Amino acid sequence: MQDIIHIDMDAFYAAVEQRDFPQYRNKPVVVGGDPDKRGVVATCSYEARKFGIHSAMPCARAMRLCPNAIFVRPRFELYRQISQQIRDVMFSYTDLVEPLSLDEAYLDVTQCKRSFGSPTLVAKAIKNDIKQVTGLTASAGISYNKFLAKIASDLDKPDGLTLITEKQGSEFVKQLSIGKFHGIGPATESKMQDLGIYTGADLLAWNLEELKSIFGKVSDYYYHAARGLDHRKVVSHRQRKSIGSEKTYNEDVGDIKEMLLRLENLAEEVWQDLSGKHMTARTVTVKVKFDNFVQVTRAVTLANDISKLGDITASLQDLLYKADVEGRRVRLLGVSVSKLTLLEQVDEEQLSLL
Amino acid sequence: MQLSITREVLLKPLQQIIGAVERRQTMPALSNLLIRGGDQNLSITATDLEVELVASLDMEIEDHGATTIPARKLLDICRSLPDQAKIAINSSNEKIKVSSGRSRFTLATLPADDFPTIDDLELDQNVLIKEGEFKALIEKTAFAMAQQDVRYYLNGLLLELDAGQIRTVATDGHRLALSQLDHKSDIEGSRQIILPRKGVQELLRLLSNEENEITVSIGKNHLRVNLANLQFTSKLIDGRFPEYQRVLPEESDNRAKIDKVSLKQALARASILSNEKYKGIRLILDNNIMVIQAHNPEHEEAEDEIEIEYTGERLEVGFNVVYLLDVLNAIESDKVEVIIQDANSSALIVSPESQASRYVVMPMRL
Repeated sequence: MQDIIHIDMDAFYAAVEQRDFPQYRNKPVVVGGDPDKRGVVATCSYEARKFGIHSAMPCARAMRLCPNAIFVRPRFELYRQISQQIRDVMFSYTDLVEPLSLDEAYLDVTQCKRSFGSPTLVAKAIKNDIKQVTGLTASAGISYNKFLAKIASDLDKPDGLTLITEKQGSEFVKQLSIGKFHGIGPATESKMQDLGIYTGADLLAWNLEELKSIFGKVSDYYYHAARGLDHRKVVSHRQRKSIGSEKTYNEDVGDIKEMLLRLENLAEEVWQDLSGKHMTARTVTVKVKFDNFVQVTRAVTLANDISKLGDITASLQDLLYKADVEGRRVRLLGVSVSKLTLLEQVDEEQLSLL
Repeated sequence: MQLSITREVLLKPLQQIIGAVERRQTMPALSNLLIRGGDQNLSITATDLEVELVASLDMEIEDHGATTIPARKLLDICRSLPDQAKIAINSSNEKIKVSSGRSRFTLATLPADDFPTIDDLELDQNVLIKEGEFKALIEKTAFAMAQQDVRYYLNGLLLELDAGQIRTVATDGHRLALSQLDHKSDIEGSRQIILPRKGVQELLRLLSNEENEITVSIGKNHLRVNLANLQFTSKLIDGRFPEYQRVLPEESDNRAKIDKVSLKQALARASILSNEKYKGIRLILDNNIMVIQAHNPEHEEAEDEIEIEYTGERLEVGFNVVYLLDVLNAIESDKVEVIIQDANSSALIVSPESQASRYVVMPMRL
């Protein structure tokens, strides 16, 4: 059995801003895009959450909910630095750290570098260290797998510390509402509710074959999660699966040629990112969000690895048509590449003429 | 409109202009051909809004008129009919009938008025040139054009004209091809236009090596070439081509005279070990010998040696083997001259007989 800790920083970006600007403390702070344009909330302080503001909400809406909120633009470079400090703390306890984002990570402390007697005490020590180094609070969930550790960290936020033991695990999952399962978003949630699955206990009544006929290959995860089981390992140095760029426009775009042009610009950014990382890819994906917020993606897997910008741009027109954009208006366009492989470091370099 | 035509008479112009019809279009009319029948003349137009090709045929036509017809379907029908078949084309309002012997097709049509033609054509300069000479100028340099480069002005061929010369220049940023022809015209000063890649490729397909004179007309935004039974029109790339004169290398004493065929064969052998990503080969020039080395990430190695005329200093330079082979394929003479300063500077490759075409290739750092 493993000892897994899930660490989740409390309102990370907003907490950083409140730390650096004392005048923001105890006030609703929203970190995100420009409310006058189409920015969305990245994070908001707990004071702002009382007004119903949450992340991914359009800033304009947040402003209506709480006109007195302090809106600030994110300082990602700083957040990244702080995130690195936090990771350094974690790595001093174990090498098995799997960051999920700047403010969240799984740790496998089964083989902890320092002995504390229990994983709960390890989590407590990590939280203390993070507070010492960054001045910020984190919530920790401790359990015997990733699924439960993540749920546990959310139970007592902010500055929480929650343990779900092996004995409690399966009982705990039974009463858990299905939307709280990590990996079950609103769409799957409503699909499950249509089937009469509202809690872990309801899910427990379904066997694997029944689930598979409806949900496909993710069913394994649901089936085991309902039993409080999760066999996923904590993987440090998680490999990137895709590289992409997308943009929400100030005004919707209706002209196909213009869309193509914008996709080409995004493709150029993706290509620079890809080649800068000395990687190559096989699959090109175009993402389109229409003015009615319906989002579609269309992908093509190429016969050969991408070796130049043209390999990406050559597919864009086709994919755009496949997304059925004709006669419609879009608010967001995105390009990404996946099936990444690291290029063998070729130590030859073509010199440039111009 | 009604007309009757022999398969071969229709097939040739269709094949010549079909390249302008893109497989995917933004407008339905662009997958069609515009067919216009006059007194003694039938014209067929294909366009992708950038390149427009018009074929004209002398023939009797009953009922003048204009219509459009699905391009690829008409071509496929013509292709699949037997040799010398007589084809009858009949257009009424919304349908067009194509029949030959016992084969009959009814195809959808779109109004001729919906068919886009290139307008705002302001051609202000005509140049008369022999068809074969014009073709050679383009052929000798077109291979070096960039492909979908973000520097959009490189995705085409520079045509530079002054009172005494016509030059074509193409570069993708790693290599450059320049070809010039002494040709008198009434152009004042010098004029530069960039013909887009697609236009270059279509034009090359249309031009033959004939001695007859053709008219090349240039405007601010367009280039038009009138051939015997074909008219080619292309939009131009609106951009500034790099100052190519600056990248032509300086003179150097390190000049090698090499038999073209031997070099080509040796490079082709060495390139067996190169792959999509790894195209570097090493040339070592020393005292009348050139050693060609190739190796790849799997640590396989190739080495070849040829005799050359070379008395300059010992040089070791890396190149993309594809760039070298492209140049050797464009040069016609039996020998080539390679002029290199050092491993970090561009190399000049020419025919020893004439410097009308010059090729510049930048080395690789291996």
